[in-house]
Amino acid sequence: MGVVVILILSSCRKDTEEDCPVPPVAVGDVNVILDQFPFETLSEYNFFVGEMSNQSPNTGVQPYDIIAHLFTDYALKKRFVWIPPGEKAHYVGDHKVLEFPVGTVIIKNFYYNNVQPSNTTRIIETRLLVRKQEGWRFGEYVWNDDQTEAYLDLSGSYTDIEWIDENGVDRAANYRIPSDAECFTCHKNYNIASPIGPKPQNMNFDQEYTNGSANQLQKWMDLGYLEAMDPSSVSTVVDYTDINESLLERSRAYIDINCSHCHQEGSHCDYRPMRFAYSETTELINLGVCVEPNELINSDLIYVISPGNSERSVMHFRLGSTAEEYRMPLLGRTIVHEEGLELIENWINSLDIVCQ
Amino acid sequence: MKKTILLFIALFSVGIAQAQNTCASSPPINPDQVYTVSAINGNVPPSFCEGTAGSTDAGEWYKYTASENGSITVTTDLPGTGGADTRIQIYSGNCGNLNCEGGDDAGGTGTTSLATINVEAGTTYYIVFDNRWYSGGFDFMLSEGAVILEGLSFTNSNIVSVGSTECVVDMNGDFLDDIVSVTATNIRVNAQQPGGGFIATDYITTNADHTPSWSICAGDINGDGFNDLLYAGGGGVTFMMSNDTQTAYTEDSFDEYVFCQRSNMVDINNDGRLDAFVCHDVDPNVFFINHGANDLRFYQGGLGETPDGGNYGSVWIDYDNDQDVDLFIAKCRGGDSPANINQLHRNNGNGTYQEVGIESNLYDNVQTWSSAWGDYDNDGWMDALIGASSFTNGYHKLMHNNGDGTFTDITAGSGWAEGELFSGTGIEYAPADFNNDGYIDVRTSSGVIMLNNGDMEFRPEAVPSSTGAVGDLNNDGFLDIMAGGTIRMNDGNENNYVKINTIGTVSNKSGIGARVRIVSALGAQIRDVRSGDGFAYMSSLTAHFGLGFDDEIERLEIYWPSGIIDVIENPEINTTHNVVEGTHVFTDVEEVEGITSITTYPNPATNVLNITADTDLKNANVTIFDINGKRVYDAVLKNNSINVEALTQGVYIVVIRGTEKTLQSKFTKL
Repeated sequence: MGVVVILILSSCRKDTEEDCPVPPVAVGDVNVILDQFPFETLSEYNFFVGEMSNQSPNTGVQPYDIIAHLFTDYALKKRFVWIPPGEKAHYVGDHKVLEFPVGTVIIKNFYYNNVQPSNTTRIIETRLLVRKQEGWRFGEYVWNDDQTEAYLDLSGSYTDIEWIDENGVDRAANYRIPSDAECFTCHKNYNIASPIGPKPQNMNFDQEYTNGSANQLQKWMDLGYLEAMDPSSVSTVVDYTDINESLLERSRAYIDINCSHCHQEGSHCDYRPMRFAYSETTELINLGVCVEPNELINSDLIYVISPGNSERSVMHFRLGSTAEEYRMPLLGRTIVHEEGLELIENWINSLDIVCQ
Repeated sequence: MKKTILLFIALFSVGIAQAQNTCASSPPINPDQVYTVSAINGNVPPSFCEGTAGSTDAGEWYKYTASENGSITVTTDLPGTGGADTRIQIYSGNCGNLNCEGGDDAGGTGTTSLATINVEAGTTYYIVFDNRWYSGGFDFMLSEGAVILEGLSFTNSNIVSVGSTECVVDMNGDFLDDIVSVTATNIRVNAQQPGGGFIATDYITTNADHTPSWSICAGDINGDGFNDLLYAGGGGVTFMMSNDTQTAYTEDSFDEYVFCQRSNMVDINNDGRLDAFVCHDVDPNVFFINHGANDLRFYQGGLGETPDGGNYGSVWIDYDNDQDVDLFIAKCRGGDSPANINQLHRNNGNGTYQEVGIESNLYDNVQTWSSAWGDYDNDGWMDALIGASSFTNGYHKLMHNNGDGTFTDITAGSGWAEGELFSGTGIEYAPADFNNDGYIDVRTSSGVIMLNNGDMEFRPEAVPSSTGAVGDLNNDGFLDIMAGGTIRMNDGNENNYVKINTIGTVSNKSGIGARVRIVSALGAQIRDVRSGDGFAYMSSLTAHFGLGFDDEIERLEIYWPSGIIDVIENPEINTTHNVVEGTHVFTDVEEVEGITSITTYPNPATNVLNITADTDLKNANVTIFDINGKRVYDAVLKNNSINVEALTQGVYIVVIRGTEKTLQSKFTKL
């Protein structure tokens, strides 16, 4: 945790120096002052070294990943966590967010590659979740076009983006950057703000580190970020893109990460019958199989999930819709996740059950 | 010989097997006989009475001619069907011109079908089994029965809409309800023609930042005589303002993030200009105050300030009969959040509102997205049916207005309670008299309209596609329902009706917030003109009353937001009255037949006015109007006297409004 001073050479390609914005210089340690949170600019935290757009973590900023990813209009994510030096997170349960110490910052960058027209990488936003004394609080930072800085904006906005995906398909979205109120809608349990991703069920897998591959939870313990716990007993979700896993397990993982923040015990919409958290979907009825929906959309859609018949399933209809009043997830996406929809369709159609 | 017979039988069988592939060759069905169909591979029907078209591309056709009036039931719920996912469409008319009569998708056990319709002697019905879900074999049977008494019946017709169709309101100023469908860049108005039918006009607009995904409402904000529109979207609000010739609409989109739910147009600060209110799902509610000359300004706070929202169904009605609109908000939320507790905001009359949920007994965490407010027992006070969207925090609630600022839960025995007649959940509950019997019914979004028996009891009437925008789309005095491109035209009955359009002058031009009251033999009925009822739809601004068999109306009263009262004696029934504010100002003292009048003394009065009457006046609502009909005093009567010291010199009328009679007297203030 020594002092790091780096001179930044601008990568600006404009002709005259006056046209090139000077990116902020990262000097020193990570800078989190709880009672001044949130800062006006992302650079003030010193989470990254070098050009901030390289997303290279500073000392103590730990990259992490989760097994099953939330779909947000195909945006790519880089996730980090900053735990105050000398402090540790605690295991609370396989399916519960780790208990992080006060002062923890969870960082999530949203970006796209091959952004048109110039085939560049564009970071759209960085979301922060900070654990203050009084609870978790949100910080939303929107990146400028020059990719040199991100500015606090809790009021929400839209940005258009067009990119070419890894299959060469041209895609576009009117991407929604959330407001404070939208963050809280998903990031809460029993009305108390909370992270969603960092649960042992989502983190219990191998990651690549500088000295080789290791179990992520074990690595955190080795680095002193996590109190001792046993990863081998954790009930873990599968990677829903892994075709070697069963359709049921893949779907449970998909539904947990994309839906359970609003559809589990204690959530925004727990007055609906669905219980989509991975810990709750050991029962098919909690997934909505043979469950009549509260709201009659049309006479085609007789159950939340009609076994064997994705076209008669409310879940399939909503996952395939872009209409604001029908689509699910309701917040966080504006276009359809084609691969996710196909997974759920295949799973529903594989169900060999007759509703009574 | 044998060979020939076998060949003949084979050909005969093939002939039978192919007959049901087309309408024209459809074979007749005999009742009470099981038919086996081997596959669905005939012609696809040209339209669908039940369900969506989807990938349907085949049907099997049969016909039935009724020999007498009665009903038929067609079912595939038979052992030979093996639980297959069948669907039935039933038509009348002829093969070149089929009219939907009914149908069914999954009304039998599991996904089998069971369709029942009333039939008329001599009429031929075409019964089609389509392959929306399944193309294999099944069994079916037709049985005959007695006529099924229907409290309501509707006939479908289609309208060509573009975009969302959620709005029925007069757009071209002729006081006939039109159908509005919108996209981000187009408003299609299907204008109802005086002789029947619709003519569509498209108005291209600049790109609306927000489209009405959650709700739409209409009203004349700029006061030019043509209704404007509000699109309530998931990210914010866009207004579309009509010009003063109704030839174009101008977009006014607001940047502020609003996760909209129900929206309404209403004069919030009672300055005579129409404003707008929008429920915010995850933040305090927002509203737009009209400062005149196209100056609409965004505000947030003061009308439902729960930090995390939970606001779903707002409705503006006068619950305490003090002639200003109050706001009830149906609320919903999970996670044990108090954001799901309903709120009643009482208008203090001076531009401020006070939340009185607890005091009124409407403080309740039932999970609801809309409530249907109407005077269900015609006792002069607005009651509320609070409709559950989920039963996790309790069932539907029928709340009776006690007339003293409080409500009593009278759900038990009303048909709405748990275990009683209606077990649906949904987001739409809105009031309307669909059978014109003089008692307000409630439409739900569960395929049921709850018909009001008149004694705070309701009975369910199955009406597929029971929800949508409501208005009179063929000007026959019966309310029709419009959703998604299909008009469900009310077949009507022998009951009488009257319709009133309120045209404001001092009050907002649409007359929104006006209390319209009629008195006929069956009693007194009231309506509060409102923009935005139920959850998503915009229904007609016309005040509609059923009269049952009453053939005359004693009086029609309009209590305008301005305080002006217009009274029309004996208005014509079975027609529409377009009443301009202030053109029938109530100034004459009248003795109400059959009741003793009140006396006020001394006359002239300087400080105190005493009131006597033969009827008990305890807690009566007293209003004093000046000679122009303008309300100058309004309160609950105490000690049978009123302090009139503050009134300027002049002649005044004292009005005491009882539950069925209005008592009046005139006095002079010196």
